Amino acid sequence: MFVCSKQYDVIVVGGGHAGCEAALAAAKLGACTLLLTQNLDTIAQMSCNPSIGGIAKGQIVREIDALGGAMGRVTDRAALHYHMLNTGKGPAVHSPRVQCDKKIYQFTFKHLLELQPNLDIMQDEVVRVTTANGAVNGVDTLRDTHYQTKTVILTTGTFLGGTIHIGTVMTPGGRYNDMPAVLLSKNLSEELGLHLMRFKTGTPMRINARGLDYSKFRLQPSDNPLQPISHFTDEREQQKRKFLSCYITHTTLATDKILRENFQRSAMYGGNIHSQGPRYCPSVEDKIKKFPEVTSHPLFLEPEGAHTEEYYIQGFSTSMPEDVQRALIASVPGMENASITRVGYAVEYDCADPKDLYPHLESKIVSGLFCAGQINGTTGYEEAGGQGLMAGINAALRVQEKEPFVLRRDEAYIGVLIDDLVTKGVNEPYRMFTSRAEYRILLRNDNADLRLMPHAFALGLLDKKYQSAFEKYRALTETLKKGADTGEVGETLRPWSLEKARAHADIHRKYEGYYERNQKEAEKLAEVDAIKIPEGFDPSSVRGLLFESAQKLRIVKPQTLGQASRIPGVTPSDIQLLAVHIERFRRLKRVQKTA
Amino acid sequence: MQSTICAKASGQGGAVALVRLSGPDALVLTHTLTAKTLILEPRRQTFCSLYDGKSVLDKALVTYFRAPHSFTGEDVVEFALHASPYIVGRLLELLCRAGAVPAKRGEFSQRAFLNGKMDLVEAQGLCDLIASGNKAAHRVAMASLDGKLSEKLGEVKTKLTDLLAQIEVRLDDADEEMPPLCSDSIRQTIEDVLTSIKTLTDTFSVGRLMKDGLKVALVGAPNSGKSSLLNALVGFDRAIVTDQSGTTRDTVEEAIEINGHKIVLTDTAGIRSHALDLAEQEGIRRSRRAMEKADVILFVLDASREIITEEQALWTDIQKQQKRTILVLNKCDKAPAPVPALENTATYTRVVVSCKKGEGMDELKKVLTAPLQAVATDGLLISHLRHYEELLRAQTELEGALLQIDQKAGGEIYAEHIRGALAHLKDLLGEVTPDDVLDVIFSKFCVGK
Repeated sequence: MFVCSKQYDVIVVGGGHAGCEAALAAAKLGACTLLLTQNLDTIAQMSCNPSIGGIAKGQIVREIDALGGAMGRVTDRAALHYHMLNTGKGPAVHSPRVQCDKKIYQFTFKHLLELQPNLDIMQDEVVRVTTANGAVNGVDTLRDTHYQTKTVILTTGTFLGGTIHIGTVMTPGGRYNDMPAVLLSKNLSEELGLHLMRFKTGTPMRINARGLDYSKFRLQPSDNPLQPISHFTDEREQQKRKFLSCYITHTTLATDKILRENFQRSAMYGGNIHSQGPRYCPSVEDKIKKFPEVTSHPLFLEPEGAHTEEYYIQGFSTSMPEDVQRALIASVPGMENASITRVGYAVEYDCADPKDLYPHLESKIVSGLFCAGQINGTTGYEEAGGQGLMAGINAALRVQEKEPFVLRRDEAYIGVLIDDLVTKGVNEPYRMFTSRAEYRILLRNDNADLRLMPHAFALGLLDKKYQSAFEKYRALTETLKKGADTGEVGETLRPWSLEKARAHADIHRKYEGYYERNQKEAEKLAEVDAIKIPEGFDPSSVRGLLFESAQKLRIVKPQTLGQASRIPGVTPSDIQLLAVHIERFRRLKRVQKTA
Repeated sequence: MQSTICAKASGQGGAVALVRLSGPDALVLTHTLTAKTLILEPRRQTFCSLYDGKSVLDKALVTYFRAPHSFTGEDVVEFALHASPYIVGRLLELLCRAGAVPAKRGEFSQRAFLNGKMDLVEAQGLCDLIASGNKAAHRVAMASLDGKLSEKLGEVKTKLTDLLAQIEVRLDDADEEMPPLCSDSIRQTIEDVLTSIKTLTDTFSVGRLMKDGLKVALVGAPNSGKSSLLNALVGFDRAIVTDQSGTTRDTVEEAIEINGHKIVLTDTAGIRSHALDLAEQEGIRRSRRAMEKADVILFVLDASREIITEEQALWTDIQKQQKRTILVLNKCDKAPAPVPALENTATYTRVVVSCKKGEGMDELKKVLTAPLQAVATDGLLISHLRHYEELLRAQTELEGALLQIDQKAGGEIYAEHIRGALAHLKDLLGEVTPDDVLDVIFSKFCVGK
């Protein structure tokens, strides 16, 4: 065995959307970081659609961007098509979505990682996380190399024990043609004692645009004018880029018939898949089965890149055998003569129960081990990126022996996401929706910078050169919100602008009463969240709790009284009781100290 | 920001009841009930009038304790009142209307402990108290409520959750393909729910019962002894609060007090002064009207004779009312009381009395006020008041939603109000989580990429 002499602070296992953000954030905070991935050429690969953002997800990208993450900036560099979703509805639910050139996205991200000081990237597969006294101390790789580290961040995506299903054919794989991480999965469950679960997701087929009859599609052109997804992208420059279009078509009765005749041949209904898939991303056979009365489902054609004729067909995710997939394509108006380039498939993979994590994403089972992304039972690039960023920040803070950085539910969708995961757990791949946020009016696309950049500057996640412009912008929005007007502001505000400030102030005024109400509620929550559950105090042992509540408290091990109150089924009286017992515990401690 | 909580702090019985109000707004809330100019010096008792609107609710001794020199360590106001369940209930209701929150069991002591006003030994008792409240509340939540009530609650929950799902699915729809929700249908659903909530507040309205009294209609054939029953009830208690003539010149309303509860008796006497055939029609009409307004119906029967056709017809009418009904078998001194030869009487409470001899009156009074006694027990009064307040707050939310629909404010705004209403109803309906809403969405709509 070769033992690498370098002492790392943070090792990130996996180079997907979570891993990349984690590695960048940790390195930025000064942690000596290593990113290990099976294949450097698939770093930040978009394994499913070639798009970033979407409803609620777009807000997450804006939050990642405001916290110094790279997803938004890379998206703007790879952008092929901009669309602001939900503009027909209120600004609280406006969400940006950007179609990207998959290849440009990947190598832009890889280049960013290569340029980042404190960060090494290395192509190798981790097979074991090594520990001493219940704490992480290193990783072993397939090449029999040992790396020493204080913390490990697992961002294994769909690779942990991955199995690919196409009809009845099953092959090991984390993505088509990419090997799964089988040994690591064994190590995590058998040696480290993580509670592994099995989830499923899927992807549709890709087709060659040659032979498409565009006259049968509805065109969705790129927005003009556009809004970049990153706060730091100059919209005037971005506007000069060349854009591609997306197209909308739909399934037919013929599609329906093909699916019905072949149900038993799909991996989903043939009996090969037993794990839980996301209800939000159903396969097309799922849609037909569950909603037989709907005879036409929309399909959305997304270009895979500027240098390819391949299209991704959103809405056509399937685990049918290849012959059925070919027939399905031929049944869609405009695609009759299109040829399939890659078949759709389902993938099953291992993930770990997120209830075993603290809100700063460190494991309660193994000290120094962090998990982010699909391993926590989520789905989506944006959800993964948000967790990766938070895990990266917190691993670095832990090494530096600083307080963890946790976002509250009223501060960010990322806060909602992580709190949901660690407090309630998951029973299907978790996707963000605006309906999950009780403070939806506070968590908007237009105020991600105002919400989160103060944190980012304080932590050192954002370049100081933006700080004075941001402070000016913030002051300007305050002036405008009060209804006062302001004169010329000039270029010193860039990348912000007076128009942006005006737009923000208008939205704020529209929601003013609701904003205040949300904020008041949030303050109440912050008060209970400020009550930390002291070390050594076991909430589940409190007498008088309802039996079910005690059980749940034992599993979740909440960090604050607020988190305890959000565990489903825990009653206000339980919380009242805990409040008294926590105070009692503190006083007893004090008495013991003085004695 | 801590809420300001209130509750009755003294036990059952006695001539004086103590209501405690604790929290940052204690003084402000007190001034909503007293003269604006009233100065309350800390730790000094002040004798003053408490107003319910323009009328005086009670004259009370009010004491203000400034934080931290109080039981809870917060600003506290204590009211020493006349121990009438109506006065106490109404005071709590008024305080809640002004912004106070009914205290949970043990909450005063909890605050006292957290503010360092109680030592560790005392804390154990407090924990036991909260724990017992926890179990009791859990039992209440688990116990199947009265059939109709739980049905209505279920209806409210389903309707609001479904409506929220309808709105949320559109807010979270990336395809932008779904037809917008028609605002008339949103309005209709909300109005339906408001109607249901109204039914519920009517049921729960302890405050109303205590303020206006329990309305009791005395019905029966002429000469069955309604008037003597009225006299017997009134005479026994002698505590006539008011003596007002009814809505029609021939209906008599007598307000009496039984065990501290206000009871308004309505007698449909005097119909015999008309021509016979007309009188019968008029009698039925008046009985009906009295029954419609009543909370309880006393059907008075002459036990000494057979059921007559008039009583058969009246019984059919009574059953249609679907109200709490007590069968009063009068004149039991003359003959032993048989089970009346009427349909479906088995499930109704029967009380045997003799107005002449005054027999059975105690029993009748006990039966009559039993539901009021139940709500007047300390803990339950609070919990019902809580529920009542929650329903009213939910109602305000939904009315707010209707206003926003008029202004076409948008789904995310309607959702705020519906979520608000559901949050207020959490104790009554159980929590409706985002996952519950998503469950509805995924079961009803084919959404997703």
